[in-house]
Amino acid sequence: MAWALISRPLRWIYWLPLGLGFTQYFYTLKTIRGRSMQPTLNPDTSSWDDIVVFDRYSMNSGEPIRKGDIVALRDPLDSRKMIVKRIVAVAGDAVKTLPPYPDAEVFVPEGHVWVEGDEPFRTLDSNKFGPVPLALLDSKLMYIVWPLDRIGPLRPPISPVSKRGASRDFRWYSDMAAFEREQRRQSRVTTRSTTTSHS
Amino acid sequence: MIPPSWLHLAEPAIKRVGLTCLHVRIQQLVLRTFIDVVQLINFGFAFHLFKENVGGLCFMAGPSMLPTLDNSGELVLESILPHRLFPNHLGRGELITLTSPVDPSRIICKRVIGLPGDIVCVDPTGLKAHSTEHVVIPKGHIWIAGDNAAWSKDSRDYGPVSMALVRGRIAARIYPFNRFTVFSKNATHIEH
Repeated sequence: MAWALISRPLRWIYWLPLGLGFTQYFYTLKTIRGRSMQPTLNPDTSSWDDIVVFDRYSMNSGEPIRKGDIVALRDPLDSRKMIVKRIVAVAGDAVKTLPPYPDAEVFVPEGHVWVEGDEPFRTLDSNKFGPVPLALLDSKLMYIVWPLDRIGPLRPPISPVSKRGASRDFRWYSDMAAFEREQRRQSRVTTRSTTTSHS
Repeated sequence: MIPPSWLHLAEPAIKRVGLTCLHVRIQQLVLRTFIDVVQLINFGFAFHLFKENVGGLCFMAGPSMLPTLDNSGELVLESILPHRLFPNHLGRGELITLTSPVDPSRIICKRVIGLPGDIVCVDPTGLKAHSTEHVVIPKGHIWIAGDNAAWSKDSRDYGPVSMALVRGRIAARIYPFNRFTVFSKNATHIEH
């Protein structure tokens, strides 16, 4: 009788490492809090916090990190916190910094990346704490699963095609704004290499 | 009794039964192998999760911590769980393991020299910086150094490191049994 009561939870605990391992080394679901990635994530038009899939596997397997990827990383100033930012520059690049940073231009050293939030006024990013070591990067944002109207993989910002005669709707303007933000980010970076490896 | 000459009539039926038995056997075998493999993966994950989050034994190599830790062949006990639970309980003088800020695939072992807010002399030996140069350690960062100042790459080269890089503490040296040591906080305070 007593055995029947505890054998079921025991079986759950027995298989627990499989589930934990999957979330730790492959894929995990997370809720985005805060406004630092607006309007890409948690835009003002949405009344929910975004729920997204983070890919830890590609980060652990040494896939190169590309500029423009959105990543989750441990906050260098507070080791308990996880923050979500966009990679602006990788090792070897020179970046023109934004106000809180003491130097006007900074060289990203080997094994580091430069991360920034999409909303420059409400973010605590590399402009505050400088280049971030690759070891702090945790996972890459892959897929938005909630809210449903923005469900889907994260698309790189591309210039929206304007068909002659077609009306420019809300989506066109938001795509255009994302494209312009991306161009502004890129204009601040002097590239010396395109990728860096995280292994 | 069935005459033996009739047996050939039953042959196809016997064959069919035998084949079905074989199929069932193969199915069972495949299923059992599959469960075994999943169990093996489960154990692998369990072992790895334990080693990454609770602690375990690991080999050390490198000259940067001489004379506290030898150049090679020493087995030490790494304790991670206490640091996971209380990340702010780091003390000056403790031996810690951390992921290298320069190369994320390397795990390094250093001694904690300064905590957030401390003012640290960058290099008292004057090798890598002028011996009068001092820095204030920013929030959430620590200053680390190897015991072998002449042959160690540490905060003198890359500055203060984030506490988020710290994995755990070196609790004890296990392997050369005659050199068994428990490492404790042994920073000496100078009273004013």
